Amino acid sequence: MSASARVDTIQMDDVSVRFADTDVLRNVCCSLPARTTAVIGENGSGKSTFARLIGGLARADSGTVRVLGLDPARETAALRRRVAVVFSNPDAQIVMPTVAEDVAFSLRSEKLPRAEKTRRTQAALERFGLTALADRPTHDLSGGQKQLLALCGAFVREPDLVIADEPTAFLDARNARLIADRLLKNGSHRVLLVTHDLDLAQRCDQAVLISQGTITAVGAPGGIVKAYQELLVC
Amino acid sequence: MLSLYRPGHSLWHRLPAGPKTTLVTLIVLSVCLLPVTWTGAATAAAIAVACYLIPGMGLSELGRQLFAVRWLIAVTALGQFLFLGPERAVANTTRISAALVIGALIVLSTSATALLNALERGLKPLQWCGVDRQRVALLLVVTFTMVPVLARLAGEVRQAQQARGGRVSLRYFATPFLILALKHADSLGDALSARGVR
Repeated sequence: MSASARVDTIQMDDVSVRFADTDVLRNVCCSLPARTTAVIGENGSGKSTFARLIGGLARADSGTVRVLGLDPARETAALRRRVAVVFSNPDAQIVMPTVAEDVAFSLRSEKLPRAEKTRRTQAALERFGLTALADRPTHDLSGGQKQLLALCGAFVREPDLVIADEPTAFLDARNARLIADRLLKNGSHRVLLVTHDLDLAQRCDQAVLISQGTITAVGAPGGIVKAYQELLVC
Repeated sequence: MLSLYRPGHSLWHRLPAGPKTTLVTLIVLSVCLLPVTWTGAATAAAIAVACYLIPGMGLSELGRQLFAVRWLIAVTALGQFLFLGPERAVANTTRISAALVIGALIVLSTSATALLNALERGLKPLQWCGVDRQRVALLLVVTFTMVPVLARLAGEVRQAQQARGGRVSLRYFATPFLILALKHADSLGDALSARGVR
């Protein structure tokens, strides 16, 4: 086992985040060692902020955050190399005019030989079934294809951790399943999945329930989903 | 980004972006310096046609490019006709139209990645005065990317207004459109950051 695999994927100790006068996350403590973790909770409960914090896109006002042994606030460059983030709206993630160029764009900041970048791009396109669409204009793709492209753009960097914030929110059942399959497929990467899709949450190794800015339960997805459903009924 | 690039294997397509841009700049400059006469107008039109035929882009592509700038041509021609007379109006409008469509040859025959690389290289001399060439090049690419996205957002706002039975009003259009555009810009910033863009 490598040194990086020995540390828990995500560790938080007494973490709080405030926006204006509102506590978005309050005194969050957790240690998440599982390969795939689902984060569930109501709208506005702090799930996305939790994910953004781990992805280095938000800062904690207090407490400590460690992601793959790194401090996202101080070791941002190292974190970017090892952590990829996928959002719910693929339109906001696509930058280049064609599918292949957009996937290759993720490798622009990597110091790799051109041949290696080409190899990785082609391999990622093939893995996500996008080879036939490589030269297609990105704005002509369907919602499902765009999200697949966003995922492909994240995976081409061969991250150790993929954070997906409601990646299936705008998709139909078939495309949602396709995206979930690609995301949770066995591999060396770990996944943190923020979702309202409780069936999808059940497919993860571990689940976290966030309510009103605090983690109220962590454990096997079956129990956590049940606890969340009970919370919704109350 | 708007997909203007037309893939091809002609010599023109294979020419690196830097020399291609220099060559197009020289041709555009020559067109701009043509005399403001009927002959000048005919020469500008002939150069534009040759520029599309020689690299194999074809006259239909030339037609598409002219159609894309039709309103600009119309406004230019009208103003010139009113104030300068027919010969100068035709000559100036033809020169401007020719310069625009010849300039479009760069994006038609160069992939966005090659353009981005060329821009980064071209901006290198400006590094001494603190210009971040990677950021400037990316800004230009992202600006192009935003055009179809903003058009879609504008369409959504208009449809939402219509669905609620409202009149199309600039006031009621501008506020939600601005909010959506800013929200999108925020998300794009996060996505770029997440993809390793510093």
